[in-house]
This record gives sequence, structure tokens and C-alpha cells, in this order.
Amino acid sequence: MNTIDVQGVSKSYRSGRGRVAALSDVSLRVAAGGALAVLGRSGSGKTTLLHCIGGLERPDAGRVFCAGTAVHTLGPGALARFQRRRVGFVFQSGNLLSFLTVRENLALPLELNGILGRERDRRVAALLEAVGLPGVGAALPRELSGGEIQRVAFARAIAHGPAILLADEPTASLDSETGERLIGSMLEWATGHAATLVVATHDPDVVARVTAAIRLKDGRLEEPA
Amino acid sequence: MRPGLWVRLAARFLQRSWRSTLVLGLMVFAATGALVFLSSLAVGTNDAMVRNSVGLLAGHVLCRDLPPGVRAADLTGRGIRGALVRREVAATLRSATRWSPVELVGVDPEAEKRFTALWRKTAAGRYLEGASHDLYLGQGLARQLAAGVGQSVEIVAADRSLLGRYTVCGIFRTGIPALDGSLAFVPLSAWPAADARRTAAVFLEDGAVAAAVAAALSRLPGSPRFEAWSDFMPDLKQLIDLNYVSMGIVMVLVFAVVSLGIACAFVIFILKNLREHGILKAMGVRPVESAALILAQVTGLTLAAAGTGAAVGAGVVLLVARTGIDLGALTSHNPYFAVSGIIYPRLTSYSLGVPPLLALVFGLLAAVWPVAMVVRQRAAEILRSL
Ligand SMILES: Nc1ncnc2c1ncn2[C@@H]1O[C@H](COP(=O)(O)OP(=O)(O)O)[C@@H](O)[C@H]1O
Ligand SMILES: [Mg+2]
Repeated sequence: MNTIDVQGVSKSYRSGRGRVAALSDVSLRVAAGGALAVLGRSGSGKTTLLHCIGGLERPDAGRVFCAGTAVHTLGPGALARFQRRRVGFVFQSGNLLSFLTVRENLALPLELNGILGRERDRRVAALLEAVGLPGVGAALPRELSGGEIQRVAFARAIAHGPAILLADEPTASLDSETGERLIGSMLEWATGHAATLVVATHDPDVVARVTAAIRLKDGRLEEPA
Repeated sequence: MRPGLWVRLAARFLQRSWRSTLVLGLMVFAATGALVFLSSLAVGTNDAMVRNSVGLLAGHVLCRDLPPGVRAADLTGRGIRGALVRREVAATLRSATRWSPVELVGVDPEAEKRFTALWRKTAAGRYLEGASHDLYLGQGLARQLAAGVGQSVEIVAADRSLLGRYTVCGIFRTGIPALDGSLAFVPLSAWPAADARRTAAVFLEDGAVAAAVAAALSRLPGSPRFEAWSDFMPDLKQLIDLNYVSMGIVMVLVFAVVSLGIACAFVIFILKNLREHGILKAMGVRPVESAALILAQVTGLTLAAAGTGAAVGAGVVLLVARTGIDLGALTSHNPYFAVSGIIYPRLTSYSLGVPPLLALVFGLLAAVWPVAMVVRQRAAEILRSL
């Protein structure tokens, strides 16, 4: 099942200010098909949490289970395979590969998973349709607006049908209406595909639409929001 | 790992950042083209030195003592343009007032004119003619004898018997002391000595391998000893080897510098697009695949640029080879260019193959640094910075 189960995860960094505890003993659980909003001020540990869930960071302590995989135990090869097949990431900005067209950007996760030829083209077309950008396939990222880029980034994150979608402040650089529509699409997709969504955000409007929300403060879980 | 995918992505990258591709490619293109031309010129210079040295008199392959059974007509075969059979004996020349030891050579003047260039080096008088009692000798020897054109000279055998009286018809000057100071020629038809060695000078077609021809001729009846020019002119052989070595060093240095430039440029590229490599990692692209992508980028760029560079370089070589480059002003006092200072650059597997090959090798070396950089970067770190 596509649940996310984080158990007592801690992560600290060495920096000029000494040791910074980015996450301290964070535990949470999101059911399959659920959507969790991670709230908190800048520097509260949201990105670190998402990276630990998606395997981009290895926690110092604690365990992370994603869709049945013990992420914290994976070696480099297995981790890459896990990310390639099971995870979709959307970042705040700079999501697309600048030297590939929109269509090629969308095709990449499919090709990485061995989906080629007609099937790939069909899926890319369907994805463009789904995010309401059927005409931009041949465009390069620099020819798109910020909102369009984030929609394509979302499309690419879900292209290979991941079990979990991790979105790190995906709407932060968008106007509120565009952002709201993007979050709407993500929630709709997660529900429709029984996938699990974790979205880091400052946006109180998002909270109203998700199944659960947590708030981080200095790397610690505050009371459920 | 799907090699096709990474090659395709690399091609897209080069294509979509075509300005940088073009600028970087220009370096490799220019270096390869210039080095193909330069190394072809080095080959041509070596050719010219061999041509001048063997064409003056000795031939590409020689035999100092031809067995009696071997006739001039036997000296044929693959790569052989022609052969001259001469007679040689050590004797003494005596003028009115002086004498000097000499290596006396009997030749067929017409045949000599066809294959050798010594007759062009006549400093006074004229070359040998037909059946006359002509004597054609080097300038050093003429000075030693105080003999000028038209004067009479006696040839004396080792046993002090008089072999004949000849008239100096011409004096040659090659600038090579060993020739000018000790050689004298008479027509074979007026050859005076009975017990002379027979020698052979064999001239080869362009591109024929002297050592192979020498080996083949040495299998003639009587097992004559044929020597290739590289054996009887070890000094020239060394000079040519030295030329190749120094050309090789130049090539390695040039490409080392060029590849350093490429490595730096790719590192800058990657720093500029570091985030994209982070995105790729977050998509589950393994370090070895990131490395393959960069390697394909550098290799593709180098191959394309070196290929066109080599093609253009080869074109220029072929064009210049039609007329040759006259370096007479630089070679006129050089014994290795005794006949002509015109150099014809020539394409060989060395001059055409080594520059692009080195470009590729150094291109791959140039990829090491950017590859190491991307592989060592942690995706989380990259993605956080922005
Ligand atoms: N690589 C790092 N080195 C040092 N400190 C870091 C590093 N990454 C994150 N931090 C620190 O960890 C804390 C949490 O960061 P982050 O997870 O990015 O918070 P958020 O995403 O909520 O803004 C911050 O104080 C940040 O400065
Ligand atoms: Mg953050």
C-alpha cells in the first residue's frame, strides 16, 4: 500500500552556526490516497523532511517507510530504482531540464522506466492534455510562464505513475489562483490514483483542502494543525 | 542503463546549447586541422630529406658488392622504379703536380641522368657524355688535385699501374664533404679497371618500403647484401625519427592545452546547470548515468569537431601538395636538401590519424573532471541551493 510512515526521524547539519538540528524526532503517517500538508516557517525543516521521505537525504536517526520500502536502508542502486519508479518530485522552481523540450522532459521519466515508442508518445500527449497544455509540447522551458512550468513539472512528476508525490512549496512562486489550481490538480490526481501526496507549503488555503496537516517549528513537530 | 537514451540526451544538449558547442568545437576543430596539416608537412619534410639524400646518388636500397650472377635486369619487383648497376674501385688520381686517393665509379651517364640528381650539381663544365674518356669529379677532389675543366688526369691502380688518362669534363659540388672530396666518375664504356666491384643503386616508387624491398632483393641468387637507406644513412633515419617524436610532443601539448580548456568550459557548463543534474538525480538517475551523459557530451563534441578539423586539414594538405612549398631559402645549405627544397605535405595514417585520435583521448580525459564533479555532488545539496 502507498502509505508513508516516518518514525522518529532526526537530521542535523554542520554549518557555520555549529550543529543545526533540521529535524528532531519527527514521526508521521499518511495513508494511501491521503494528502498531507507540511506547514512551517522558512528554515523549519520542511524541505529536509521531504528529502528524507524521498531518499535524497539519509536521516541520522529514525526510519522511513514509503509504499512498503524501507527507504532509510537502501543502497545507492536500490535508492535510484526506488526514486525512478515510485517517487515524483515537484520543487519550488527550476524543475525542468532546460535543454529538453516540454515533450522530452515528460518523456524522460517514462524512458527511465523503459516505456518507449508509441506508448511513451501516447502518455506524453495524455499528460499534456491532463495539465491543460496540449499545445506546448515542442516548446523549451524558457518559453513557458512560471505557472506553465509548474504544471509541466507536475505532469513530469506523475508521468511514470509514482506511489508518492512530494511537492516542495510548488506554488510559492505562483499567483494564488494559479497555485490553487495546481494544488487542486495534485489532490485530484492523488485521490484518483490512490497515491500519497506530501506538500510543503506556507499557504493556509492548501490546509483546507488536504486530509491532514502538520506544522514544523525548528525541526520539531508542533501539535497537529 | 540505456546507452541510447544518454547519447540522445547528450545530442540534445549540444544542439540546444549550440553557441557554446560551436565555440568549444572551434578549439578542437582548429587544433585538429592545424595539426593534421603540420604533421603532413613533417611527413613531407622527411620525404624530401629522403628523396634528396637517396636521389642524389645512392638510391633507396643499395648493394655494395653485387654477385657476378646478378644482372641489372634482375633488379625488378614490386615498388622498384629502376636500378643502376655501377662499378667501383679505390684508386689514385694524379694531376700534373699532385695526387689524391679516390673512389672511382663507372656509370652509364644516360641512366644516371634518369634516376639521380648529381649531374644537376655541376659547378663547372658538364656531366659525362657517351663513350669519351671523360672524368667528372667533386669540387674538393678537384681542389686537392689543382685540376680544372679540360685538364688531363691519370688514374693509377692500387698496385701503382697506370689505368688510363682522362680529361676533366666537369666538377660537381653537393656540399656533402664525403661526396665532393672523394668521388670521381667515368663512363662505364671507358671503364679502365678489370677487378672492380659491381654495385647497385635501386630507386623505389613513392610509398614503397625500402626495408621490404632490400629484404626481397637479398634473396636473389648469390645472397647479395642489400641495404635500405635507413641502414646506410642512420643519421638521416635518426633525424626523421626525431622529427616524428618532436611532432608527437607538439601534438600532445596542443591537445593537453585544448582539453584543459574543454574541461574548464564543461565544468562551467555544469556549474551553470548543476541544478539540472540535481533534478536528474531526484528522478532516480544513477551517478554512472550522469557520468555517461557528460561523457557522451564531451565525446560527441570532440568527435564532430575533430572529424571536420581533420577533413579540412586533409583538404588543405591535398591542395598544397599539388604545388608543394618551396623552402629552398631555408634548406640551401643543408646537405639533406642537396637537390631541392620543395616540400610536398603528405597524408599518412600518422598525419591524418594521430591528431583526431589524440583529440578524442584528451577529450575523454577532459570529461573526467566534470564527471567527478557531478558524481560527487549530492542532489539534496544542489536542490536546496536556489
Ligand atoms: N546542507 C545544510 N547545511 C547546513 N544547514 C542546513 C543544510 N540544509 C538545511 N540546513 C538547515 O536546516 C534547517 C532546515 O532547513 P529546510 O529543511 O530547508 O527548511 P525549510 O524547507 O522549512 O525552509 C535550516 O536551519 C537550514 O539552514
Ligand atoms: Mg524549503
